[in-house]
Amino acid sequence: MVDAVFLALSVLTIGSAIAALEIRSLIYGSIALMLALSGVAGFFLLLDAPFVAMFQLSVYVGSIAVLILFTVMLVRRELIFNKVEDKRRRYAGIALMIVIMLGIGTIIIGSGLKTMETNSAEVDYKKIGEDFLTYYSPALIVMALILASSIIGAMTLARREDVIDGQRAD
Amino acid sequence: MSTIAPQFRLSRFIGSLFDLIFWVILIFSLVGLPIVFIVLFYIKLPVINNQLMTPYLAMTWMADPSRTLPIVKNFMHTTIFKVMAFPGFGFAALLAAATIFVERKFLAKIQLRVGPLYCGKIEGILQLMGDGFKLMSKEIIIPAKADKPIFWLGPLLFVGAAGAFVSLIPVAPGWVVANPNVGLLAVFAVIGFFPIIAVLTAWAANSKWTFIGGLRALHQMVAFEIPLILSLLGVVILSGSLNLSQIVVSQEHFWWIAFLPIGAIVFFITILAELERVPFDLPEAESEIVAGWLTEFSGMMYGLIQLGTYLKLYAFAGLFVVLFLGGWNGPMVWPPFPQDIVTQGITIGPVTAKFPGLPLFDQEMLNGTLWFVIKTVGVILLILLPRGVFPRVRIDMILHTGWYKLIGLAFINIFIALGLLYAGVLGPGGFLQ
Repeated sequence: MVDAVFLALSVLTIGSAIAALEIRSLIYGSIALMLALSGVAGFFLLLDAPFVAMFQLSVYVGSIAVLILFTVMLVRRELIFNKVEDKRRRYAGIALMIVIMLGIGTIIIGSGLKTMETNSAEVDYKKIGEDFLTYYSPALIVMALILASSIIGAMTLARREDVIDGQRAD
Repeated sequence: MSTIAPQFRLSRFIGSLFDLIFWVILIFSLVGLPIVFIVLFYIKLPVINNQLMTPYLAMTWMADPSRTLPIVKNFMHTTIFKVMAFPGFGFAALLAAATIFVERKFLAKIQLRVGPLYCGKIEGILQLMGDGFKLMSKEIIIPAKADKPIFWLGPLLFVGAAGAFVSLIPVAPGWVVANPNVGLLAVFAVIGFFPIIAVLTAWAANSKWTFIGGLRALHQMVAFEIPLILSLLGVVILSGSLNLSQIVVSQEHFWWIAFLPIGAIVFFITILAELERVPFDLPEAESEIVAGWLTEFSGMMYGLIQLGTYLKLYAFAGLFVVLFLGGWNGPMVWPPFPQDIVTQGITIGPVTAKFPGLPLFDQEMLNGTLWFVIKTVGVILLILLPRGVFPRVRIDMILHTGWYKLIGLAFINIFIALGLLYAGVLGPGGFLQ
């Protein structure tokens, strides 16, 4: 049962990831990207990590994909993409991907992941929160700083003082 | 007096019903019964309990409540019953359909109109059924330049997402379709799908009204999702759980609205915005952009979107009840099941029928469902009320409300919850718990 689900999820994820790269229509491409991200959420569910799976869904599918849709719909296509295509670039990309995957694969297989216990219980999200506030608190602080600085940066970039908003009531 | 069918006579209607029954019986006895016997002649019947299983025996078994009740009872605890009937789709769709009718009458009464009146003689009670038949029999028109796959999938996905949301709402102790440990996060994940579906269908219809409406829906929903999530964190902090059933159990003594009124108000406003209801109905503003992102839908596709919208309304009202109003908690008002029916049976004249499988539902569950439904209906009426009272607000006012005021209020709410927790009043180990 789990094997069949795993296979189906793999086919869905990889297939829609390839489709996201190859489809001409940008909207369909972003839909395929959403499918690929939801497939990753399915993997997390299979791995008994519903906490991560739900965040994957709400952050990646619910927010990132919405941002991509926004961009695709509101910006003219010629402004983001140029139509120059190069066959050799594609093959180079595929070759690079295979090299990277082989490298990561050898590292993972060599790391003793096979001897890991697979029947361990589901990790409680309260334990994750506790770990974040105690042992991994530097990581939490660094993440908070990165997020805060990126939000401040986004607000600075989006601020325009030369535009007067005539619609505003106040 | 009905103006729709002036020639209507009740006696003729009843006469035609008798006519119909007569013809059905005649055709069944002349054609149906011979066919049944011919088929039975060729079928080898099984032997069960040393008895040949004839159709008559099967029918007597079916009519025997002592044999069928355990089967029914067993069936009611299967997943398929939960998904299709009780806490799932059937129950929610029934409440949603009732909401559509009540909304029309309620708004009419607020604005001193009459509302649906003719269909069904008594206060237009059959109006909803008539509307349903109309939608089902109407032609589905697809715009010529629409993107057909997305346009077809849109309403189905919308109902699917609304159904996923409904499945997470616990109605009574143990009666919930899906009860994950991270239930509230699952709710956030499901809510995130609605703006995507809205904007994709709006784009696929290839019309400027739908596109403007879809973009408005996207802006509005994305802006209000953040205060929605933040306003619920107070409840999570105080109850110490993300599981919706456990959140209900934690409100056995106090409803969280008593301690977190700001969070409840913020959540209610975000509900109005997420549901695109007045005063935040800009995505469907019918006087500006026809019907917003629903403009190009017709027939049952529009019906599906409507069903999804009201399922979503029920689910949001249920979520409000679960998180702030104590869910199924309430004083025990449901009468206990009369034990005489189980022990003595019901005697009608010479026949005594015994029902050893009864009762089908226990008292606790019925009482919980009763309280949940009462509270949910109250919240639904509160959600409907602004439509009769308020005008529509401008898009920049909506975004200003969402991004500035509600997020600020939600943070104040979180600080109140943290204060209550660290002062030792509530939460795990608090003196009120």
